[in-house]
Amino acid sequence: MADLQIDQVTKTFGDTQVLKGISLDIADGEFVSLVGPSGCGKSTLLRIIAGLEGQTSGAIRIHGQDVSGIRAADRNLSMVFQSYALYPHLTVAENISVPLKMRQLSAVQRLPVIGPFLPGSRDKNVEIAAAVKHAAQTLEIDKLLDRKPGQLSGGQRQRVALGRALVREPAAFLLDEPLSNLDAKLRVQTRAEIAELHRRIGATFVYVTHDQVEAMTMSSRIAVMMDGEILQCDAPDEVYHNPLDIRVAEFIGSPKINILPTEASGGVLRCGDVLLPTLAPNELNGPVLLGLRPEALRLASEDAVLKGQVAHVENLGSEIFAQISLVGQEGRVTLRATPVQRRSLRIGANVGIAFEGRAALLFDSSGKRVFNPHLIPAHSEVA
Amino acid sequence: MTRDLWKHLILILGALIVIAPFYMMVSYSFKSPGEIDRGEGGFFGRQEMMVDERCVKLRDPNREDVAAAVPRFPNKTDSQIRDALVAEAVSDCQMRPIVFNYSKAFTEAPLLRYLLNGVIVTASIFLIQIVVALPAAYALAKLKFWGREAVFSLVLFCLLIPVHAIALPLYIMLAKIGLTNTYAALVVPWTISVFGIFLMRQFFITVPDDLIDAARMDGMGEFAIVWRVMLPTAIPALLAFAIFSVVAHWNDYFWPRIVVTGNRDLFTPPLGLREFKGDGDGSFFGPMMATATVIVTPLIVAFLVAQRRFIEGITLSGMK
Repeated sequence: MADLQIDQVTKTFGDTQVLKGISLDIADGEFVSLVGPSGCGKSTLLRIIAGLEGQTSGAIRIHGQDVSGIRAADRNLSMVFQSYALYPHLTVAENISVPLKMRQLSAVQRLPVIGPFLPGSRDKNVEIAAAVKHAAQTLEIDKLLDRKPGQLSGGQRQRVALGRALVREPAAFLLDEPLSNLDAKLRVQTRAEIAELHRRIGATFVYVTHDQVEAMTMSSRIAVMMDGEILQCDAPDEVYHNPLDIRVAEFIGSPKINILPTEASGGVLRCGDVLLPTLAPNELNGPVLLGLRPEALRLASEDAVLKGQVAHVENLGSEIFAQISLVGQEGRVTLRATPVQRRSLRIGANVGIAFEGRAALLFDSSGKRVFNPHLIPAHSEVA
Repeated sequence: MTRDLWKHLILILGALIVIAPFYMMVSYSFKSPGEIDRGEGGFFGRQEMMVDERCVKLRDPNREDVAAAVPRFPNKTDSQIRDALVAEAVSDCQMRPIVFNYSKAFTEAPLLRYLLNGVIVTASIFLIQIVVALPAAYALAKLKFWGREAVFSLVLFCLLIPVHAIALPLYIMLAKIGLTNTYAALVVPWTISVFGIFLMRQFFITVPDDLIDAARMDGMGEFAIVWRVMLPTAIPALLAFAIFSVVAHWNDYFWPRIVVTGNRDLFTPPLGLREFKGDGDGSFFGPMMATATVIVTPLIVAFLVAQRRFIEGITLSGMK
C-alpha cells in the first residue's frame, strides 16, 4: 500500500510527444481512473508507472521514493492486462503463484525437479499454496485451480489475472482496460466486483479505461486525458457536473452533452435567431459554446424559446431519449424524457424545450469553461 | 473438382518420386544378393533359403578340424569327413535373405555404436543450438536495442552461406586446435544455427507483448522470461526446428567424413554405410540397405509421433 506521485512526466516517441508533462498525485487507497479516447496516452502513462516503459523526463514516486531507473519487477506493483496475459502452459494455480515464487524462492529453489526438495523450499511452497488458495477463494475461482487458461471463459480468465495481481501485497494495482474483452453483461457485473474488491482491500488502484461509464462507476477520482494531457482530475460527480473543458464535457456522459454554438454580448447569448438572456457573464463577448446535458433539458410548451421537431426517439423503457432538430439550427439536441411524456414525442411533433440556467455550461472558443458568477446561486429558468 | 483431381495427381506424382528410393532401399534390404543383381522377386523377394558364402568359407575345415571330427564319423575317409563337415557348414550358414541382411548390418560393423554416436552428436548439437538460438531470437523479436535490424539482416545473410563453402576453413581451424577426431569436431561447428534463430524469432514475434510484460511485472528477469515463458509457449516451433536439425545432422555424411579420419569409434551412422561399400569381393547391397533402413527408421518414427505439432510449428500459427 502506498501513494503514487507522477511529476511532470513526458514521453516522446520519435517526433511525437505522447505525454506532455503529466502531474498527478494519487493518495494511498485511492481508486483513480485514467480515462480518455484511444491514443490519448493513458496506457503509456500506466506502463511508465509500471516501469515497462521509460519516461523521457519527469519522475514517478512510489511512497515518496523516486523509482526512475528501477525495473518493473522491483517496483512492487501489480498489473492486470487487457489480454489477461496468462501463461498458457501453466495451470490457474501455477499462474497465480508465479509472482510469489519469483519473489520468495531463490533461483535454486525454483529449479524444476530438485527445487522442491531443497531445504526451506517446502515451507515456502506450503505458504505460497495457502496464499494462492486464499486469493482464489476471494475471487471464487478455487474450483478452477487445476485448469489451463485455454479451458477458461473470458470472465474466468479475467479473474485469474486479477488473482495473480492480488496474491501478493503490492504497493498499488495497475489495471489496463481489464474489462474491455468481456461481454456487456459480464462487464457490468465485474465492474461492481472490482469496485467492491477495492473497498475491501483498501489498496491503491490505477485504472485505465476508454469507457467513461467504468470510470464514473468505480473511481474515487477520474483523470480525463486527451492528447497527452490531463484535462481534469476530480471526483466523478464533479467531472460530470462541472467539466472544466469542453472535451471533458463531451467525453463524459452518455448520451453526449448537447453543444450549441452561440454569440455572447452583454450577458445575452444569441443562438441563431433565439436570444437566451442572463446566461452569460456581462463582460463576455464573442463566440461561446453552450453545453446542456440531456437530462437538463425538459419538454415545455410550444411557445418556449427553444423550439424544434422530434426527429428520432429511443425508448429504453425506464427513460426516453429524444433527438430534436432545433428550429434555425443545424444539429440536433438530445433530450431525456420520462416514459409518461412519450405521447408528446411523436416523430415530427413540434415541441418546446426548457432548461434551468444553472445547468448551462459555457465554454469559450478555446474550449475552456466560462463561469457565470451571477448564475451559480440563482434559480433562473429559460423557457 | 477437376482442379482438385489435377492437384492430387501432381502431388501423387511428387510423392512417388520421393518415395521411390525409400522403396528400393527397403526392398533391397529384404532380398538376397542374387535377387538384387537380377532385379527379381518383387518387393519382399522370394525369401528362399540362401547360403552365406563367406560364412562357409570361414568354416572351411583344415587338417585339425578333420582330425577332431574323426570320432563323429567312424569308418570314413578323411576326404569324406571333409565333405561332411563342409555340408554341415553349408547347412549352418543357410538363412533367409532378410535375416542375413539385417544380422550382417549389425555384425559386420558396430552399428549400435554408430547409432549411439549419432544420438550423442545430434542431441548435443540440438541442445546447444537451443541454448544459443532462444535468447538470440527473443532479443531479436522482443527487445528494442540499437542495431537490432542490422543484426537480424546479418542472421538472414548467414542463412545464404552454404556449409560447403566454409568447410575448409572450419576444418583448418579445428585441426589447428587439435580437435579433429573428437566429438567436439562433430558438434561445435553446428552449435549456432541461424536457421534456428530465424525460425524462433518468427515464432516469438507472434507471442503477445503483454505476456512478456506480465512476466516482468511478476518479477522475472529477461533470461527467466526466455526459459520460463518463451520456451514452453514455443514447443511446436521447437519441435519443427528439432526435426530440421536432427534430420540434417543425423543424416550428415559430409562433415563427419571430413573431421573423423580413421577413429571408427567416432563414426556416425551414415559413415557406417561405407563398411559395406564394394571392395574386391563384390558389393553387399543387401546389408548396406538394411543398415540404411535401420538408420532412417528412428527419424521416421520420430516424425510420425510429432507430426501434428510439427506442422503446427511450420505454419507458425502462434497463439490466438
